[in-house]
Amino acid sequence: MKELKFLLAIWKTNLLSAMEYRAAFLTQVIGMMANNFIYFAIWIIFFDRFKDVRGWGVNDMYVTFGVLASAFGLVSLLFGNAFMLSDIIAKGRLDYYLSLPRPVLLHTIASRTIASGMGDFVYGFISYGLSGYFTWDGLARYVLATLLAATVFAAFLILTQSLAFWFGMMTNFSNLVLNAMLTFGIYPITLFDNYAKLILFTIIPAALMGAIPAEFIRAFTWQTLGQLLLGAIGFLSLAIFTFRRGLRRYESGSAIQIEV
Amino acid sequence: MKTLAKYWSIFQITLINSLAYPGELIGRSLMIIPFMWIFFQLWKVTFSAAGADGGMINGLTLRDTLWYLMLAETIELGRPPIARTMSENVKDGSIAYILNKPYDFILYQFSTAMGETIFRAMLNAIFGGLTVWWRVGMPNHLQGFLIALPAVLGAWVLHFCINAMIGLSAFVVEDVSAFTWIYQKLAFIFGGMLIPLDFYPQWLQSFAKALPFSSAIYGPARLFVTPSLEMFVNVMSLQIVWIVALAITLVIVYRRGLTQLTVNGG
Repeated sequence: MKELKFLLAIWKTNLLSAMEYRAAFLTQVIGMMANNFIYFAIWIIFFDRFKDVRGWGVNDMYVTFGVLASAFGLVSLLFGNAFMLSDIIAKGRLDYYLSLPRPVLLHTIASRTIASGMGDFVYGFISYGLSGYFTWDGLARYVLATLLAATVFAAFLILTQSLAFWFGMMTNFSNLVLNAMLTFGIYPITLFDNYAKLILFTIIPAALMGAIPAEFIRAFTWQTLGQLLLGAIGFLSLAIFTFRRGLRRYESGSAIQIEV
Repeated sequence: MKTLAKYWSIFQITLINSLAYPGELIGRSLMIIPFMWIFFQLWKVTFSAAGADGGMINGLTLRDTLWYLMLAETIELGRPPIARTMSENVKDGSIAYILNKPYDFILYQFSTAMGETIFRAMLNAIFGGLTVWWRVGMPNHLQGFLIALPAVLGAWVLHFCINAMIGLSAFVVEDVSAFTWIYQKLAFIFGGMLIPLDFYPQWLQSFAKALPFSSAIYGPARLFVTPSLEMFVNVMSLQIVWIVALAITLVIVYRRGLTQLTVNGG
């Protein structure tokens, strides 16, 4: 409860800070929504020409793209520093957070808001609304699926970026796995054979961010809910464990850092 | 001649600089591998489901399509984020130090952009090419690469002109990220970056082919997989028209932008 109050206070400060530059904030939000609309047009053209990919049609793409965009947007908005964690670790910028009496990981990742995330988050809901699958109970599942997919995504970022405790600067690797996660998440899962699917549930859990949440939104099953819950809890536990183990190895560079 | 030598030197310095961190260069170029692998999965299923006549859809085989996408990705992933760099120059005030040097700002940016592009694109082509070769074999026309090379260079010049204009908009709006996202996605659609334009409905094909994006991606990539003298002439002439038009616009935008520039610090 105490940590939740702390998080709410940080998010409020981040939002007020972002809103200080309203024009820039709105440009980023609207720009990101336009960006997503234009990108999705490619899928509309593709499915208009080829109709479906092993039973996966454009309506399924609307839901998959929507939930992935909302989850990505939510993490960008609430835990923006999760994208830069390896950089923060490698440059000794954890000193600031270590010197304060709050959970280091939570404080670090929540200390930054990426304004364009709002555009992604909102766009996801519009995409779901346009999918033809919209129902009110489906919307409730959409919200739950977004939360669980965002948990998997945030955990994946923490997990991969925490490797910087052992290997130092990991910008390229972080970008590579992030791109792989998003790319594999957006494509129809029916494209992949069983070996590839195993990878998409484990090493790069893109299926837990795109296809499985989309399946859960379209129709409730205990199996998909179980997969999502298990994935979210499992990856989050592993991410926290890895970060804590890594933190023991952390060495400050004694550099003077200014946190804004 | 002396003027050109100056920019040639800037190009060489950036080219050598780009090799200073080989790990960084290789790491960044590895991104093309998952992209090409997923393209293979998507188009293999699509060609098979479409019951492609003689293994072809609108004149392209699966192998052609994948080599086309490899070159399209190489062009896109090879080019540096020049708009972002120029926007950063404006935001942090470092543009003040570039503008008062004895070289032209635009030509300086062009020389550095090309210097950064060469090795990055080469590695993308190697990793992307190996992935596609492993999945579908060699391209049908290996000589297509040499024939398409001038068009690839022209594509980077075109990209530069458009991106520099986006970067210059930082003189007015400072943050240009939204414009770069939208430009990139327009290039994806109208350039045929993820789906060759040949697979589009006829009306959209005609529209897309009339825009500069197709000269920057589709033209060179299509020339690579189905090279012919006629296509070479068509692609190059359209590209030159766009380069001239956009370069003139860029110079006008730059001159007007200078009058609005406010340097924040440095």
